[in-house]
Amino acid sequence: MELDEFKNQIRNKLATDHVGRSDADIASLLNRRTVSVIDKLKRSLWFEIFTCILVILFFAGFGIFSKWNSLRIYFSVFALLAIAFLVIIIYLLRRINELGGTTLPVKSTLQTIVKIIEDFTRRYFEFTMALIPVCFVFAAILGYNDRQPIPELDHFFGPQHSLGLAKVLVIVFIYMLILGVIVYYFTKWYLKKLYYNYLTQLRACIDELQETILV
Amino acid sequence: MQPEKEFIHLLNQHQKIVYKVCNLYMDLHSDREDLFQEITLQAWKAYGNFRGDAKFSTWLYRVALNTAITFFRKDKKKPDIYSTDTMPEKVEENIDPVEEQVKAMYAAIGELSKIDKALVMLYLEDYSYQEIGEMMGITANNVAVKMNRIKLKLKEGAQKQLDTM
Repeated sequence: MELDEFKNQIRNKLATDHVGRSDADIASLLNRRTVSVIDKLKRSLWFEIFTCILVILFFAGFGIFSKWNSLRIYFSVFALLAIAFLVIIIYLLRRINELGGTTLPVKSTLQTIVKIIEDFTRRYFEFTMALIPVCFVFAAILGYNDRQPIPELDHFFGPQHSLGLAKVLVIVFIYMLILGVIVYYFTKWYLKKLYYNYLTQLRACIDELQETILV
Repeated sequence: MQPEKEFIHLLNQHQKIVYKVCNLYMDLHSDREDLFQEITLQAWKAYGNFRGDAKFSTWLYRVALNTAITFFRKDKKKPDIYSTDTMPEKVEENIDPVEEQVKAMYAAIGELSKIDKALVMLYLEDYSYQEIGEMMGITANNVAVKMNRIKLKLKEGAQKQLDTM
């Protein structure tokens, strides 16, 4: 049995297996929420934007109202970094929106979206990991130079405990290490949850298309 | 005419295209309804950029296939093949052999991959290999090679379906 023999019958079967919809039915669909991978990505980006704005407000608040100079500088700088990150996310969202409005060939659409998200996740991961040593070094310098005592910290590392410089450095190093590992795996997990699973699905579609070329 | 009304009118005239794609890609009625809704929404979102330099039907095919290919259901346990409610019913005394063969072919198409289904869809609509290649983003030669493979696959698949009836 050949496909061509049944072309017309199959075409008719595909077209007739449904109940027609009225204009009103179609109109009612236009304001619903989509479930496509691309729109999920856009919703993830909106979530990032919302979170980023909260972080900026929270950090800026700390930067303005904290009574310690070191914390003021620390949180102000990171509020500025969050603003830079927010700009990147908004740029990415605009690019995806522009793409969403076009009807490119299937392969081009998938490849472009995959590229955008790959770039974003790579930069996001690099940005997060680069912040860890920056945070520690920055915090250490500011804390060391801050002449105002912080009772909460002095309670652990103050002179009355006489831990000694070596022990304090070991504790700080272990703390940095553990936090670094946690942030590394948390960021990986977070990105996987938000983006990698979608990317895997999109890549599988591209592979199916490219398979044709390899024949 | 307002863009929304114009779009609804055009979609209503061409809704068979959307149904064909939904029927080809989804087995269960509820999934077809979800996909229909998704294609309608995506087409509406992209409609602002439709300039009329291509036929509406060709543009709608492109949107519908893009959407169907990137449409993933939450429930992965559901098989991506045609279930018994769309499969031909068990052998009856007076069943038309041609109808039986059509059902077998239909079921075999249901077992193809998403990309292969898109190629079959466009092939059934009499688009040339050149046009299919333009919609899918591959060359006409690749479409030809792929179609030959699909035809062989369908021939075997349909025969298997007939054997199990």
